[in-house]
Amino acid sequence: MKIQVNGSKAGDKENGCALCGATWGDYYEEIDGEKLFFCCDVCATEFKNMIEEIKRRTGWKKIDELSIEGNYYKGRNCVAKTEGREYKFYVKFGDDAEIETFKEIE
Amino acid sequence: MPICPSCEYRASEWKNIASHMYLMARNSDPSHVMWMNRNLTMKEVDVDNLSIMLENFFSIKDNLSFWIREKFIQKFYGESPHPFILAMQNPTRGVLLGYVIEHQHFLKNWVKVLSEIIFKTDVEEVIKYELENINVEYFGYNGRPSHYELLIRMGESLGMPREKILSYKPLPSTQSAINTWRKIAFESNWVEIMAAMHSLELVADKTLRKYGAKMHYFNETILSSNDFPKEVKDFLREGYEADQTHAGEALKLVDKYAEDPEKIQVTVLRSFDAFAKYLTARLERGMEFDKNLIKVVL
Ligand SMILES: [Zn+2]
Ligand SMILES: [Zn+2]
Repeated sequence: MKIQVNGSKAGDKENGCALCGATWGDYYEEIDGEKLFFCCDVCATEFKNMIEEIKRRTGWKKIDELSIEGNYYKGRNCVAKTEGREYKFYVKFGDDAEIETFKEIE
Repeated sequence: MPICPSCEYRASEWKNIASHMYLMARNSDPSHVMWMNRNLTMKEVDVDNLSIMLENFFSIKDNLSFWIREKFIQKFYGESPHPFILAMQNPTRGVLLGYVIEHQHFLKNWVKVLSEIIFKTDVEEVIKYELENINVEYFGYNGRPSHYELLIRMGESLGMPREKILSYKPLPSTQSAINTWRKIAFESNWVEIMAAMHSLELVADKTLRKYGAKMHYFNETILSSNDFPKEVKDFLREGYEADQTHAGEALKLVDKYAEDPEKIQVTVLRSFDAFAKYLTARLERGMEFDKNLIKVVL
């Protein structure tokens, strides 16, 4: 999965956490057969919840590209892509890494 | 005395705090990692640099209240001002209704937390100050309606009946912020609670631009505009005129009675975190009335 967070490549220790872009921490999680870097397990759980929600709503089996803009305070504006298709949404997480708000954007 | 802003571990020097935080971050401890991400830097630095950054971040140049003011401006009015403040430069009915519906819960909790300050202090001037604040927020003064009442009237003037406004439960982000403030009220001493709560009143302080804020809390031309109902102007004007003295006076008391400035700084930052989240909840509620509002957070 090609991931961009606030305009920069993300998903490995060198570039930063797959959700927030931070390079602190040392946490890895396998998602869709790929080992991704996260700053902490909270970001990892949020990311997994988000991926599941995209798949549930779109019926996609996998995601090729994901772009995330925003942060914890104001929520995140995202674009997911697969096989030429595009899906835009806004997501905000709650205190237990659960999805608190999910809005599809036309 | 230096303190870990995440777990409040104490040491005699910042470099010990830096080593501790570095280690915790290496182990991906969420609370320590998040504190650094949100307050210091998202890019990992070594212990020596971290130590310098922490010391600079917490160093108080003039007095504690100046530090609080500076950090508040950086977080809410800095490079990218909070989206709610951006929305208030040209507020739609949706923005204002979101404000009304979520803020009623904030105000109720506000006076409850202030009463905890009164409960915990023996300082006469503090008791008087807080009672006065509670009075203005909840009962009104000199025959003028309270902030709480002015808020509800603003909602009514936008076409929402009082009973409907009062029937809304807080959104999860509002509730989460309220939980943070209640935790602060239970666990902290009264000076910390004062700093944590009254620093939030800085949001509407019209002198903030003097200290570097790029804009005011709302576009001030609203106060003389014919595009908004009188009740909207009444509510906004009240804050515009009152909160400046509120925050300023309370922070003077904080300066006067602060015994443990580092602990106060840590608590204030926690309160700012909750506040940023809460301001987003106002917008989120507003989206129920104005779908276009999502563009403000994008
Ligand atoms: Zn992260
Ligand atoms: Zn710690």
